[in-house]
Amino acid sequence: MSSRKGRKDAARVVREQLAREQRRKRTLWISVGAVLVLVVAGLIGWSVWSSQQSEDFTAPPGANDTGTGIVVGSGPVTIDIYEDYLCPACKQFEQTSGATIEQLINDGKVRVVYHPVAFLNRYSTTDYSTRSSAASGCAAEGGKFTEFGKALFERQPPEGGAGLSDDELIDIGAEVGLDRDAFGSCVRDGKYRSWTKHVTDEAGRAKVTGTPSILVDGEPVREWTPENITAAVEAAGR
Amino acid sequence: MNGNLRRWRPWLGLAVRLGLAVVWFWAGWSKVGDLAASGRAVNAYQVLPYDVAMVVGAALPFVELALALLLLLGLATRLAAGVSAALLLVFIAGIASAWSRGLAIDCGCFGVGGELPAGESPSYLPEILRDIGFLALAGFLLIWPRTAVSADGALAGEPVEDEDE
Repeated sequence: MSSRKGRKDAARVVREQLAREQRRKRTLWISVGAVLVLVVAGLIGWSVWSSQQSEDFTAPPGANDTGTGIVVGSGPVTIDIYEDYLCPACKQFEQTSGATIEQLINDGKVRVVYHPVAFLNRYSTTDYSTRSSAASGCAAEGGKFTEFGKALFERQPPEGGAGLSDDELIDIGAEVGLDRDAFGSCVRDGKYRSWTKHVTDEAGRAKVTGTPSILVDGEPVREWTPENITAAVEAAGR
Repeated sequence: MNGNLRRWRPWLGLAVRLGLAVVWFWAGWSKVGDLAASGRAVNAYQVLPYDVAMVVGAALPFVELALALLLLLGLATRLAAGVSAALLLVFIAGIASAWSRGLAIDCGCFGVGGELPAGESPSYLPEILRDIGFLALAGFLLIWPRTAVSADGALAGEPVEDEDE
């Protein structure tokens, strides 16, 4: 009687052990599967990003040697200006310091490199940052980069919306004196989109992480007031 | 009282699990549309070399979405919670280091990211506190990974109490 109970108990213990062993194995395989899912997800991200990388770009006329920006002026001191046409702080910068920059250019004191980066594509539903930057490349082709850029900031659309349409960009171009047909087809074909990507990537590589970023001979001017910029240019020119 | 807690814990766990899934989904989804921007947000911390930051930034949203999926299904919950906790600790360390170095950036936790415009001050403390809150969710699931309505439970095919012994 008691020995039969003992056998029963032993069988139960063995069964439980087997079940536990099985459970452990199952947990192991589930874990391996889950790790695989996470690793594969990461690899997908990497490969999607890699497929978006293309080295081919045509820089518009008037660009610097490395094709990272449009050069205006020929003074001894270089000012690098990183702007996104959708960035409200950039508009503010243009309003407060644009005239000063223009004066410095006209006085032959500085050479300004404008880097129209597309940092804020997520703030419009139509990749306005990329489209407007690529259009500024078209404007550079027509010799009206500065005028077009100025007009873009004056008519800056709000963040979060659709931005200006290609048609509106073309209208603005025509207003500042660009040839409607040549400029229009350049904008519609997205001729300088790959250039915009290059400008944006190289800005990141140059440790520019926000807009506007103003550098005078490579030194960042965090508080970009006209006084600070003039002072930095004078210090650099000495 | 104790028995009550035990009975309710799987359901509390379900809420925690789904909550954390929503967090990861939100974090991943807000970044996945612009992988280059996600990379720039990582680069803004100035911890990793540019190219590494770009790859990490591209991979991260997909890993976050995968974590959301695992948590939603309740599959490998303890592992997903462990990875979540590890990621959150890295994020907290990153934000703290940006803070201590005086950088003025957005954490880029849910999209955005990058340097803040002049005049705007970073909100590092709320960002860290928020991540600590998420860390608490992950911690709960690390300790009590058995939750109601989970793939883990269905696959194990045993009553939930089993694991508590």
